[in-house]
Amino acid sequence: MNIVGVAACTVGIAHTYIAQEKLENAAKKAGHEIAIETQGTIGTENELTAEQIAEAHVVILAIDVKISNRERFEGKRIIEVPTEVAVKSPNKLIEKVEKIVEQSYQERESK
Amino acid sequence: MNDNSFYQVYFNCELETKKEVHNFISNIVCQNNISIKEEVVNQLIRREKAGSTLIAEHVMLPHIESDHVKNSQIIFIRLAKPILTWDDHIEDIRLLIVLLLKRSESEHIKKKISLFTRTLADEEYLNRLLNSKEKYNFEQEIIRI
Repeated sequence: MNIVGVAACTVGIAHTYIAQEKLENAAKKAGHEIAIETQGTIGTENELTAEQIAEAHVVILAIDVKISNRERFEGKRIIEVPTEVAVKSPNKLIEKVEKIVEQSYQERESK
Repeated sequence: MNDNSFYQVYFNCELETKKEVHNFISNIVCQNNISIKEEVVNQLIRREKAGSTLIAEHVMLPHIESDHVKNSQIIFIRLAKPILTWDDHIEDIRLLIVLLLKRSESEHIKKKISLFTRTLADEEYLNRLLNSKEKYNFEQEIIRI
């Protein structure tokens, strides 16, 4: 599965980067491709490309604040959680994302 | 910036409540001005209200960006005894890693701190910090960016 996402927290120096690291590690461990953009105090890093977004099966927004350029994800399947969920339970979050994506594909096929 | 001032370690720190921890941090930021100390404590409380700063079992990451912080710092507080009740939801805190970010800090220092915070995603690293018995070993474990 291809996953893209954004991490952004209130101060923009702590949870943003831990969430990014943990989501990337958990997703890779589960065998997925992942790219997480950070919008922190330094600004935007690891900015997602239009191609990465187009190829993504799902978008994870681990955010505590409003993010820039959210409209890029219009029409995509978006899962939004507070950063602390990504920080505390990254593996569970990825498992949940897998289930949601799988379920929506099954629903689409049964139509 | 001198690494010795950027990373501070308080080992076997005898703090017993969240309030004592907040006061301890505010004292590091400013020793003399009571209103500044109160403002720092309020900022720490506000940040916690916005979302938990618990980053792993037993480990909290209080952090603020403030005009009152003169030099950005990373402060390790290894408690002498766990704080068994931090609040209604959080218990058994043994290690606090405090990020004090000066308002309008340079890009270089912000980057340095962000690289440091990424290292905190590694639970084995946090466990090594939690399990270090001596201050020397604890300081040796710290990943200095």
